[in-house]
Amino acid sequence: MSDFSRRLPVYLLLDTSGSMSGDPIEAVRQGVKALVSELRGDPQALETAYLSVITFASSAQQVTPLTELMLFKEPQITAGGSTSLGAALKLLTQCINTEVKKSTPTQKGDWRPLVFLLTDGAPTDDFRSAAAELKSAKPANIIACAAGSYADTTVLKEITDNVLLMNNLSAGDLAQFFAWVSGSIKMSSKSLDAKPGEAMELPPPPQGFVIVP
Amino acid sequence: MSSIGQATLADGRKIPYVITDNPPAGGMKYTYFSPDRSYVVQFFNDPSKVDMNMRSRLEAILTRYNPTLPESKGGAVGNDEKTAEYFSKRFCWPTDIVVYPEFGIVSPTYPKSFFFGSNASDILELKGKDKKSNWFTGKNRKYLNPAELGDFHTMLQTALLLSRSIRRLHQAGLAHSDLSNNNVLIDPKSGNCVVIDIDSLVVPGIYPPEVAGTRGYIAPEVVESLELPVGDPNRKAPNAYTDLHALAVLIYEYLLRRHPIIGPKVYSTESAEKDDYLALGPMATFIENPHDTSNRPADLRVTIHDLGPELESLFLRAFVDGLHDPDKRPTAMEWERGLVRTWDQMHRCSNPNCDYKWFVLYDLEHPVCPFCGTRIDDTELVQLNFSRHIRGQKGKWRRYSKLLAVNNTPIFGWHTKDNIFPDEKADKQRLGYICNYKGNWFLANEHINGLVSPGGNSVPAGSGSIMISDGVQFLTSNDEHGLLVTVSVKKLR
Repeated sequence: MSDFSRRLPVYLLLDTSGSMSGDPIEAVRQGVKALVSELRGDPQALETAYLSVITFASSAQQVTPLTELMLFKEPQITAGGSTSLGAALKLLTQCINTEVKKSTPTQKGDWRPLVFLLTDGAPTDDFRSAAAELKSAKPANIIACAAGSYADTTVLKEITDNVLLMNNLSAGDLAQFFAWVSGSIKMSSKSLDAKPGEAMELPPPPQGFVIVP
Repeated sequence: MSSIGQATLADGRKIPYVITDNPPAGGMKYTYFSPDRSYVVQFFNDPSKVDMNMRSRLEAILTRYNPTLPESKGGAVGNDEKTAEYFSKRFCWPTDIVVYPEFGIVSPTYPKSFFFGSNASDILELKGKDKKSNWFTGKNRKYLNPAELGDFHTMLQTALLLSRSIRRLHQAGLAHSDLSNNNVLIDPKSGNCVVIDIDSLVVPGIYPPEVAGTRGYIAPEVVESLELPVGDPNRKAPNAYTDLHALAVLIYEYLLRRHPIIGPKVYSTESAEKDDYLALGPMATFIENPHDTSNRPADLRVTIHDLGPELESLFLRAFVDGLHDPDKRPTAMEWERGLVRTWDQMHRCSNPNCDYKWFVLYDLEHPVCPFCGTRIDDTELVQLNFSRHIRGQKGKWRRYSKLLAVNNTPIFGWHTKDNIFPDEKADKQRLGYICNYKGNWFLANEHINGLVSPGGNSVPAGSGSIMISDGVQFLTSNDEHGLLVTVSVKKLR
């Protein structure tokens, strides 16, 4: 019989600017790997979650289009360049418009996408209009994580109300971040429940992370 | 990185547990294992939700409502050693309350058979993951090795055992409140299941827990009232009736590998959330609703009709009459009985490659497996039709149940008396069996006392037998609970 379950699109927006090179970018690679492997072990996530990776440095690019977990291949991620957050947000909007299925009278649309944004610095391009558009049109539930002391949380607050602060840009904290992301995706894929318009529920952030009010 | 923690229990005992980074977490609790992995210690994600209600609820669950402890050891009233032993395999029931370092509970680790082993899948790393039912009831099946998948026979047994467990809860006035694919682990290989997450039970007289449930298993009336604030008198709390919705959904999924409500119909194009709310709440429609086919998949092939009249009628009551009318849902006991009766009408499919391997052969005129379309290659079928005495009316009988028999089909106590039911208390000793000897069918009597031959003579246990052929009638016992058996033998070729 046909499958009538909805997809849960998940976008990872990862900062790959020069300041991420070395241990942090390696931790990001390992984090994505661990995330995919963790989600593949959860039957609900495996059925519903689809994953895409967008990286941004001097420019933004979608290194993996929205893909079901079993077919997901780890992207090449390298660090270097500036922090084009604005370009990344524009690209995200574009990807959502083309990849996320809308409901029609004969076809069930996808769930509202889940976006995890990780950045360690301040944007070097114009991000304001793209951020404002995302915040008002709300095409997705966005969770932004500021990694380390150089990240600018006020910038992230212009994109979403859900901002986390990770105090150290250490491999350990990045690993915890990706573990938390997989926990959040698992939780969302289970409790995508019938409460129209309610704030989404996420697991408590890992130790050492602060929710920015 | 791990270290050993010490939990102090309510009775002062101290027990160790292994503290790990990112412990496995559910919607309510996170879990640490004991060093030998024989038990788990669980703490609440949000300790502020631990209040007096939760404490008194857990105390009641651990003692006077505990079906896994005999009454003599402080468990449920009337519970004996044998039933306690039986239900301790069917529930992962908490054993202790933790008071330090914070409020938590201790539960046994569920048996090994509910964790995947290293051979579960060639393409996924599943070793050590628990066997949630949606590994087996949807498209995830294709990632598992065939040896994990079981067949229709083991899935029907799983459904039966689950109904019995839920019947036991409801009998005591308890409700699970969050029955779902996540909280019932199944092992299709052996046909077993275990109900977990017992700590959010609804206990009579104690304020119910604040669980909404799991998408796909929440009863429509609860979905409908989810938008009301907690404490609103119109907000529906989970109870035994909402369990009965979830139970029916699980049984349907076990047997037919699809969800009964999530179908092709689009209820709203405004948003996925709105559509889902309508689809699982106020507008919920059974995909096989005979009066409203708007949610029926175009390629629906095997239907509830193929599961035999007992289950068909139960599913219609659960998902047509009772979907929006909780009172009309079949009780867990009715499911248990219906599944037992269906069990006795199962037949092995003759196609060795059939994915289901067994089916319900309720219509002897049409002995074809509905799953793969193969006609069985048996030459003859034997059916024992049981009738019971109508009390107070001598010589009057009412149809009771049926047993489809092949060579070596066993006869149990519940096939011989109408006051024996195949439940947790029943004696599982074989009392006799059906056999074919040189082309004739016999009932061999091993331990049936009082068996009466068609001619009215006593058939001794141990050495006696009855030759049975089409139309033959005999009594399984000469006492008032004995059953009248009418034999049909159907020639197929």
